[in-house]
Amino acid sequence: MRKIVGLVLLALAAAAAVGATFLPFSELLIRLAPGQPQTAYVTTGWSTQFGGTKDEHGPLFAIPIVLAAAALLAGARWTKVAYAGAAALAGVTGMLFVYLLNAISFHREGNIAIDPALEAGFGNGVWVLVSAVVLAFGAVVLHPDD
Amino acid sequence: MIGRPTAIALIAAGVVLTATAMVLPWYSTAYAGGVEVVVRAWGTEILNKPGDWPAGELSPWYGVPVVVTALLLVAGVWINRAALAGAAGQVGAVGVIAALVVSERGHAVDQQGDFAVGFGLVFLAVGTLVALAGAVAVQREAA
Repeated sequence: MRKIVGLVLLALAAAAAVGATFLPFSELLIRLAPGQPQTAYVTTGWSTQFGGTKDEHGPLFAIPIVLAAAALLAGARWTKVAYAGAAALAGVTGMLFVYLLNAISFHREGNIAIDPALEAGFGNGVWVLVSAVVLAFGAVVLHPDD
Repeated sequence: MIGRPTAIALIAAGVVLTATAMVLPWYSTAYAGGVEVVVRAWGTEILNKPGDWPAGELSPWYGVPVVVTALLLVAGVWINRAALAGAAGQVGAVGVIAALVVSERGHAVDQQGDFAVGFGLVFLAVGTLVALAGAVAVQREAA
C-alpha cells in the first residue's frame, strides 16, 4: 500500500509541477488610462505577455521545472533520484520565488502612479509549484525503495 | 570509483567556487550612453542611470537560495543526503538563472545592448557541477 501511495505521489508531484508551468506565476492588472479596461501582464513558465503582446524573449522557467519533474518520474525506480528531483524542484521554486517577489514589487512601484488601483501579485502557478514540492518530498518519504 | 575523501574535496571545491560567485558580477548589459545594468547575487546595479529610467527597483537577491544550497552542501560533509539535496537544489536554482540569462540576452540584442556573462556566473555554474559530482560520488560511496 505504502509503495502504491509513494508512486502515486511522485506522479502527482510531477504532474502538478508540469501543470504549474501553464498557469500564471505572476500577474499585473492595470488600467493604462481611466475608464479603459484592465490590461493583464502575465508571466507563465512558457511566456510573458502584456495584453495581446507576447515578449519574444520571455524567460522559459518551464524548462528547469520540466527537467526536475522528469527526474521525479525517473525516481519511481530509485529513491535517491526521486530525492534529487524533489530537491531540484525545490531549488527551482526557491529561485523563481525570489525573482517573482522582486518583479511583482517592481511592477507595483513602477506603475502605481499610472493606476493606483492596480493589482499585482503571485499567480496560481506558484502555489501549485509549491504544492508539487511538498508532494515530491512526501513521495520520497514513502518511496518503495526505503 | 571516487573515494570519500575525493568526493568531500569536490563538494568543498564546489562550495568555495559558489561562495566566490556570490561576490562577482553574474551578467551585465551595456547600452548606449554608458548605461550599464550589472546583475549580482545581492542585487542589480545600474551605472549611469538616465533620468527616464523606470521607477521601482528590479534587484532580486538571487544569492538567498544559493546560500541555502551551499549550506546544505557544507552539511553534506557529515550528512550524505544533505550533499545531494544541496547539489540538486543548486542545479535547479541555476536552471532558473540560465532561463533568465537567455531571456536577458535576447532583450539586450533587440535593444542593441552589449550583453556579457560575468565571472560570477561561470564560477556558479562550475561550482554547481563540481559539487554535484562530489555529492553523487558520496552517495555511491555510501551505497
